[in-house]
Amino acid sequence: MRRDRLIRSIVLHALLTPLALLFLAPIVWMIVAATLPNNEILAAPPTLTPGNALPQNWADLNDDLNFIRAVTNSVAISAIFTSVGVLIAAMSGYAFAKFRFAGRALLFTVVIGALTIPFEVRAIPQYLLVARDLGLSNTWWAIILPWLAYPLGVFFMRQNMLSIQTELLEAARIDGASEGRIFVQIVLPIMRPALAAVALVMFLFQWNDYFWPLLILTDKDAYTIPVALGTLVGLTRVSWGGIMVGTAIATIPFLLLFLWLQRFFIAGITAGAVKD
Amino acid sequence: MSSQAHASPPTTRRRRSTGRRLAPYFFVAPFFLLFAIFWVYPIAYSFVLSFINTRQRPWTFDWDFNWGRLIQDDFFWNALGNTMIILAVQVPLMLALATLLAVAFNSELLKLKGFYRFAFFAPLVLGAVPYSAVFRLVFNEQYGVLNYALESIGLGAVPWLYESTPALITIMIAMTWRWTGYNAVILLSGLQSIPLALYEAARIDGAGPFQQFFKITIPMLRPVLLFTFVLSTIGTLQLFTEPWLITTTGPGNATETLVTYLYKQGFRSFNFGYASAIAYTVALIAVIFSLLQIRLVGGREVER
Amino acid sequence: MKKLLLALAALTAFGFASAQTLTVWVWDINKPALESTIDSFQEMHPGVEVVVEDLGNQNVYDRGLAGCAAGGFDMPDVYLVENNEAEVFWAQFPDCFTDLTTLGGEELLPLFPDFKWSELTAGDAIYAVPFDSGPTAMFYRRDLYEQAGVDATAIETWDDYIAAGVAINETFDGNVKVGMMGKGSDDEWFRMLANQAGCFYFDQAATEVTVNQPGCVQAMETMKDVWDSGAIRAGGWVEQIQSFQNDELASAFFGSWYTGTIQAEAPDQAGQWGVYLTPAFEEGGVRASNLGGSALAIPASSDNPELAYDFVVNALADEDNQLNILNNYGLTPSLLSLGNAPELSEGVDYWGGQAIWEDILGTLGDVPAVSGTRYFQEARNVMIVVVNDYLDGNYDSAQAALDDAASQIAASTGLPVAD
Repeated sequence: MRRDRLIRSIVLHALLTPLALLFLAPIVWMIVAATLPNNEILAAPPTLTPGNALPQNWADLNDDLNFIRAVTNSVAISAIFTSVGVLIAAMSGYAFAKFRFAGRALLFTVVIGALTIPFEVRAIPQYLLVARDLGLSNTWWAIILPWLAYPLGVFFMRQNMLSIQTELLEAARIDGASEGRIFVQIVLPIMRPALAAVALVMFLFQWNDYFWPLLILTDKDAYTIPVALGTLVGLTRVSWGGIMVGTAIATIPFLLLFLWLQRFFIAGITAGAVKD
Repeated sequence: MSSQAHASPPTTRRRRSTGRRLAPYFFVAPFFLLFAIFWVYPIAYSFVLSFINTRQRPWTFDWDFNWGRLIQDDFFWNALGNTMIILAVQVPLMLALATLLAVAFNSELLKLKGFYRFAFFAPLVLGAVPYSAVFRLVFNEQYGVLNYALESIGLGAVPWLYESTPALITIMIAMTWRWTGYNAVILLSGLQSIPLALYEAARIDGAGPFQQFFKITIPMLRPVLLFTFVLSTIGTLQLFTEPWLITTTGPGNATETLVTYLYKQGFRSFNFGYASAIAYTVALIAVIFSLLQIRLVGGREVER
Repeated sequence: MKKLLLALAALTAFGFASAQTLTVWVWDINKPALESTIDSFQEMHPGVEVVVEDLGNQNVYDRGLAGCAAGGFDMPDVYLVENNEAEVFWAQFPDCFTDLTTLGGEELLPLFPDFKWSELTAGDAIYAVPFDSGPTAMFYRRDLYEQAGVDATAIETWDDYIAAGVAINETFDGNVKVGMMGKGSDDEWFRMLANQAGCFYFDQAATEVTVNQPGCVQAMETMKDVWDSGAIRAGGWVEQIQSFQNDELASAFFGSWYTGTIQAEAPDQAGQWGVYLTPAFEEGGVRASNLGGSALAIPASSDNPELAYDFVVNALADEDNQLNILNNYGLTPSLLSLGNAPELSEGVDYWGGQAIWEDILGTLGDVPAVSGTRYFQEARNVMIVVVNDYLDGNYDSAQAALDDAASQIAASTGLPVAD
């Protein structure tokens, strides 16, 4: 029996390890390529060990655009979006989970329905709205506003808020606490893990979003990281080394964050999964 | 609740209950205000646009100008076809792989779980643009690492980006790489909610690992599997970045998807009306698939 | 209060340009080319800053249209547009660009050839000023041709070109190719060859689809011969640059503007490049066609249209600047007064001392005229696919492929197919 288990364990590892390495390979190669000169990145046979062109690649990356500016934009946009968005989602989630009110079922169905609507349906009118009517192109708000109403966040917060004990809230009410105060001082603190999970998902979403920023950002100084990198791919003089440095910069902080906060990432990913 | 209410003086009670009655509306107000502006309005406007001939100025109402064209447009059907092929081939393969991975992660036989989890989940944090750039290099016909590897084990180089079928396969490999870990996480959470007692009972009845997998794991996982299927379906219907950056929707239109076609019609040919009709087709298909899921899983989650 | 609002506007609308800065959107080699004219512009307007940004060809077009659709927001002061893509702007968004006649643009009309203006004017309005032309030629590596025993000067027809490709293939074991075709990613080869055969997507007036006419059929068949010979490789813009940098491409077929790209991307290959004329369909046939060529327009949203106009005129209508751009960046001027400039007949070091401009510009008169039309992009999207499918052998004949293309283009543009 024990030997049987050992053999099965070995087989499992023997199957899984090559697959895991295959999945890691593009990321490892991206980091290696960030240190290679252009002619070694696209060369036969390919170079697989790090080179010393990192400074040159960084310079190339900044040749056609200000990458630090793009990083700043991405960080600021994602941070503002996440903090405001999570709060809005938590408020709605709380109302759906802990209050009975006229229209609740209908409104919640609307939220769920919104999850299935592809962004592209909104893209064109939203473009006209944000760029032409609101005149917001190339601002942070052009990126932040359209997604602040984030249905998945509401859904996830509602699922988690269901577990808040109603007695706790009632007790606070008896003590005379206002509804707003109950939310801020009781609900938010006990929801911290759920808030963190939603925050990670929303941050990552905004950090990586491409389609909408691509439409609305025309000014290089307003580019987010994905738009900046996407532009470089389509540029005439492609510096793959530069692009790889950019992708590494966009990615490595999250890889580290992921190692550190795996639990929250996983909680965020499983947000919508059926849990009963 | 009623006994507590009795304890309060009538005036406070009324005030409090008013506050309480209004509180939920206050809490949902910011969301639905933004929702009205950035979701409801565009969705409605887009619907109207799909009935407008936007080719010539001034725009004129013409109810079947765009929809009529859609039905006869080979390029649209090709884009729909490509999307459906990916849906039919890539999504099941990916979900099968994700299920196996989830089972492996759930197994107590697996050591070094941290390493494996990192390996399969790391692609998740890569943005679509960074990974598309990497894949474009990896799949380069002449200089790519992949063809180098294939040649060094005695297989020929594949023109990944320049021939139709390989290009579509490239897109599918890229998507599988990126999303398998994501689905595995969701499935793992489903696995963990299966009562262990079920397996105990099966073992006592003499069921082997395979029987356990097909008789217990798969049926119990069904709702979660359907959920991941719907998520992947919606994701595939909205597929844009990978074909846009890795294969530039080519060769020809071999990797054109509904959304890349929409982008070209809307923002390159400036045919907003036609693009809106395409967008609504995407939405319609997404809604149909989602309704199917609600049918199959039942509405119990929503109304729990 | 107003101050506060302004400060807020400045804070949120970053990239907010100061009144004395001109922004110019271009792609590729046009950036250094236009930058070379800034000094002389600043002599006229000291203190005015000019920022030339390379957004990439497709991006400039996409964003220009997007900006116009949004009502002219976030446009640069000067906008580079390809001639054959230009008309969609004037047709869809007539208010998006400044009518240059309001700035005295009529003065420019006699300075450039009429055919360059046809795509840049609408009625009495002038929307852009001609920049360069794109007479095609074959740019080749003298050393690689020599090693394969191919005499480039003896190549007269496409059959000769294919034979050269086969010889190069054999010499280098298939590692070096005679050319690269953007198969499945662009239809440039088709447009160059069709133009050479006097055919285009549409007729001159853009009232009919003409893509299935005999000239286009000939172009398609020739492309198929070239492709089937196995002597050329598939690859886009980026791959082509990579290939010649790696000594794996013996020649490139493009408009004359590509000379600037080659010089910029492979400075170490100086002296090894040469030029021969576009091969003919049959001996004694036409050896000229045109690909690309662009113009500068001034978006109506510019805060400084007069300054922008001065910049454009100084860059495009000044002989010194245009000669300098030709010599250093390989962009072929459209300015009529340069036709007889003695500088054009001088040998160019990078090109092995060959007087390439005399050779290339000599073909300009043979280029069949075409007009891009506002439906250019829609037709191009169709042709990229049809050419690719035809090269893959999915059609019985070039005629069948082009008949299909014609009906597709007709469906997406609403224009009838010509008889």
